[in-house]
Amino acid sequence: MNTLDALLLISLLTALASGLGQGHRLIGWITALLFSLQFVAIMVMGSLGYGGAVVEASISLSIFGHPVSWRFDGLSWFFALITIGAALASSIFAAGSWAEDYRKHGGKPGLLQFAIALNVFTMLLLLASGDLLTLFIGWELASWSSLLLMMVAGGKAKNFALRYIVYATGGAMAVLAGLGIIFQLTGSFAYADLAAIAPSLSTLQIVSLSILFVFGFGIKLGLMPFHLWQADAYAETPGPGAAFLGAISSRMALFAIAVVLVQLIGLVKLINIEIPFTFLSFRDLLLWVAALTIIFTTFTALRQNDARRLLAWHGIGQGGYMLIGILLLDPLGSAGGLMHIFNYATYQAALFLAVSAVIYRTKTADLNQLGGLVTRMPLTFLVMLIGIIGLAGIPPMNGFVSKWLIYRSLIVEGMPLLFIATVIGTLGTILSVYKLIHNTFLGQLRLEHEQIREVPWSMLLPMLVLSTVVFVTGFMPGLVLDWVVAAQAALGIPQVAHHLGGIESAHGSLDMIWISGVLFSGFGIGALLFYSGNKTKHVHQLDNYAGGHFLTADTRYHYTNNFYAGLMHYIGSWYRNSFQWLESSLVSVVSLLSGFTQILFHSFHPALFLLITATLSLYFFAG
Amino acid sequence: MNSIAFNVALPLLTAFLLPIISSSSKPAARFIGPFVLFAMLGFALVYFNTLQHPVAIALGGFLPPLGISFHLDSLSLLMASIIPLMMLLLWPYANKQGYREESLLLLLAGGASGLVLSGDLFNIYVFFELISVASFGLAAANRSAAAFAATFRYLVISGLGTVLALTGIGLIYTQTGTLNLAHIGLLASQLDNPIGLSAFALIVIGIGVKAEIFPVNGWVPEVYSAASPRISALLAGLISKLAVLVIIRLLVVAYQGSDAYIILLVLGILGIIWGELSAWRSKDLKRMFAYSSIGQLGMVLVAFSIPGDAGMVAGIAMMLHHLVVKPGLFMLTEKWNGPISKLGGAAKSSPLAAILFVFFALSLIGVPPLPGFWAKLLLVIGLIQASSPLYLTALAVLLTATVIETHYLMKTAIKIYSKGKKKQVKKWQQTSFNLSVISVFALIMLAVVFTLTPLANKLNHIAAESSDRVLYINTTLSASQPPLSQPLSQQMGKVQ
Repeated sequence: MNTLDALLLISLLTALASGLGQGHRLIGWITALLFSLQFVAIMVMGSLGYGGAVVEASISLSIFGHPVSWRFDGLSWFFALITIGAALASSIFAAGSWAEDYRKHGGKPGLLQFAIALNVFTMLLLLASGDLLTLFIGWELASWSSLLLMMVAGGKAKNFALRYIVYATGGAMAVLAGLGIIFQLTGSFAYADLAAIAPSLSTLQIVSLSILFVFGFGIKLGLMPFHLWQADAYAETPGPGAAFLGAISSRMALFAIAVVLVQLIGLVKLINIEIPFTFLSFRDLLLWVAALTIIFTTFTALRQNDARRLLAWHGIGQGGYMLIGILLLDPLGSAGGLMHIFNYATYQAALFLAVSAVIYRTKTADLNQLGGLVTRMPLTFLVMLIGIIGLAGIPPMNGFVSKWLIYRSLIVEGMPLLFIATVIGTLGTILSVYKLIHNTFLGQLRLEHEQIREVPWSMLLPMLVLSTVVFVTGFMPGLVLDWVVAAQAALGIPQVAHHLGGIESAHGSLDMIWISGVLFSGFGIGALLFYSGNKTKHVHQLDNYAGGHFLTADTRYHYTNNFYAGLMHYIGSWYRNSFQWLESSLVSVVSLLSGFTQILFHSFHPALFLLITATLSLYFFAG
Repeated sequence: MNSIAFNVALPLLTAFLLPIISSSSKPAARFIGPFVLFAMLGFALVYFNTLQHPVAIALGGFLPPLGISFHLDSLSLLMASIIPLMMLLLWPYANKQGYREESLLLLLAGGASGLVLSGDLFNIYVFFELISVASFGLAAANRSAAAFAATFRYLVISGLGTVLALTGIGLIYTQTGTLNLAHIGLLASQLDNPIGLSAFALIVIGIGVKAEIFPVNGWVPEVYSAASPRISALLAGLISKLAVLVIIRLLVVAYQGSDAYIILLVLGILGIIWGELSAWRSKDLKRMFAYSSIGQLGMVLVAFSIPGDAGMVAGIAMMLHHLVVKPGLFMLTEKWNGPISKLGGAAKSSPLAAILFVFFALSLIGVPPLPGFWAKLLLVIGLIQASSPLYLTALAVLLTATVIETHYLMKTAIKIYSKGKKKQVKKWQQTSFNLSVISVFALIMLAVVFTLTPLANKLNHIAAESSDRVLYINTTLSASQPPLSQPLSQQMGKVQ
């Protein structure tokens, strides 16, 4: 038994234990303990993150003559590390006081832990896949276990989960068709055979395979136009579950796209395929789909008044950055795309947990019902602050590094329009994360929240650890870049030259240690000036005035409703819900057709059909 | 070898004797049915395990192509073992007073065994009629007005179908002068003309009434929603497959490489579209399963329409999968009947049944590693390998249908797991006997998952054997009738 066997076994055990012991009071802590064992196992395999040799699982089978096997390489390890880390943080958060509170309100914390454990196990199976068949099996298993996680909350969440699984099945079927085509071409599901015939594929084959795989897998990523399901489904999942889903679940699509399209088929050819009557290559088309995904979903996020939905919509947009990075294929861009997966997971998990902490205390995620919590929950505020700086991609947090790499690569590769598109996306991100932190933590505290305290340590600990990671890997991105380079090597992409502080490249270098140093010395000077001045005077939050008039305690000076009214005045007319409309008209078409089929069954005697078919087929053969 | 004939004779005899036995001893009458079925199962399994290569048996001493002949290969013996097994699982053990249903079931078992084993069209026709008569009686067995009305509808269309099938058989006879399948196969070149193909079309449509082939399946939703769940399970699970078996036997032996495949493909595609769309819209659980069964049979038909071994493997896999899943699902409607929208609380009152429903639904959708996935995978690969536009259309339809299937099955699952009114919750409680029967179906599927590799080999073997036309012809003609071997070998050169 090697380390991969051990990892998969522990993961299976975690799922079994949490599944069987759902009702037990301590199950949360037991699951968290088992997750930390998984974390130890992935650390033991750490050499993979630094270019170590591929680890093969001892089990391999042959089904219908197709050999199936599992193995871990640098890319799998990178994704597995994020998966287990996110699960561990979510599990600890959900184990203590949160679980008791959740149970008190009719929830099933044990089921939540089980669902997360099952998700981790199935994702590890996917990440460990050693051929296309196991890849598909892992993909489907992970998809369906996500469904379980989304259903845990019950009620409205079930309908969103249903919508998810319909989209996901659509994607899986596209992938299945793609696998069928590959099997037809190679006669097997082995990675090596696909890689071997990849150079001889015709243009049509490459384009159809790319469309099937990018959109088939991309549905999980929420790629436009299949993005509608994700935000609702993730947001309605109970807090820690949403943190896990948001951090890593949809990124499995990137793993699959990277393996099938980049590693095996080789994206390079897509660059040379021109789309007729346009000036775009086929890869440009995919890049633009990703860029539009960023812009549309980010600006949809801006309009959300539910903190969870705001974050969930951002999750879709951030996926667009990652996809752009990976599709760019150059050392800088692909490093940025891969690194963004890690960075994003850390701050998105932290943010979802912070929002869950706020919900835990206030019972609401409505951004119009909150405010001023910074005085009551300062540590949660700190976590959210670090998180949103990361999400917005501003130094010194890690989100800046990965976005910088992607921007840089877009410019170096000569794609200024795409660069502008991604910057517009980032602008939307900055606006909406400001809305998030302002409406939650800044401004005036509401009367009903006067008595609120900081959340307990079991919840704070994972949030603070995650924020530390966000900061440390922003300060020293080289820590993550080592793993990214190992993943790049596994994919066969040229690797980026890096050091502890950042990137060393002919097209521009980045040293975060230096940048952070300058930034913090600036803060230091500011603080010196601030504290060396006069003594500060504490003002009560209700002691303020507007337009020269004092405000009474009944008139709150905290505007949340219609937050970006001015901006919406200019861009509001662009929100047309076109995709909602598209989706509902598709449903209407199916409904109409099915009505027609049922009418045919009901209104005529079957004998009539017998006669018609007999006549027609006789005509076909004899006529 | 002749003792396999007991599988036909024994149940038929018992069925006719049952009224007499019942009048003398009620317990004996209750006991004898399962006993006979066990015996059938034993015979069939022994043959299935010991048979090395296909064997033809001439009954009554008349040699083919003149006499009645049985054709024993692994496919027919597999079906012959499944028939008593299904009957045993769906047997009315709780029925204490009458013997009618038992009698009809035995009639069905005998007829079905005869059908799968027969090697000539005339006997197939006779046994098929026997099955029809038994199934009319069974469909109306619960004596409700709706059941009678539905059965009447079924009877009319079935009768018309029989007329068409008989016409088709007649046409074949006029072309070839024989009804022995192997002999027809030998003369297949005489059927590759408009008359021969028309004959095939008529038989497909006629027999297709039972196989739920689009569009002669108008009776399906009515009968399945009116008949008792056990009978629906039997009709959807077993009887439809018997009809399919007849069609593919004819296809393999007499119409290989002809246009006959196209008609199956087209009807299959339409069946998938019609069945799945109607299932998506239906508001009643039984009707939903009935329509979904039409869609599934469409997939089976599409699978068999793929030429060569690939199609045969996929078809048999799809067929066997549906044969296990659908009865399991129909048995759930014993208590879970009525509108889907009122099923709330069902999971609370029978948690095991709800889990089983989800399990069957997932396999039907084709979630790996459940059996349904492997069947669907084989089908997808087969369709892509056939690689003509029509087959690729079928693939697109199949994949889209899966999405629709996912929606309506998961919608129902969600309904089952949602909260319900207290009063109704009691109503949804499944009986423990029913649950154990359904669990057996689920256990069969689990067993399949864990023995996938040997089963796949077996399946490949069965498919290779049953798609081998020359083997079929040789088995019946050259093995049992040496005198014919001279002209046979001359003609064989032509067929090969």
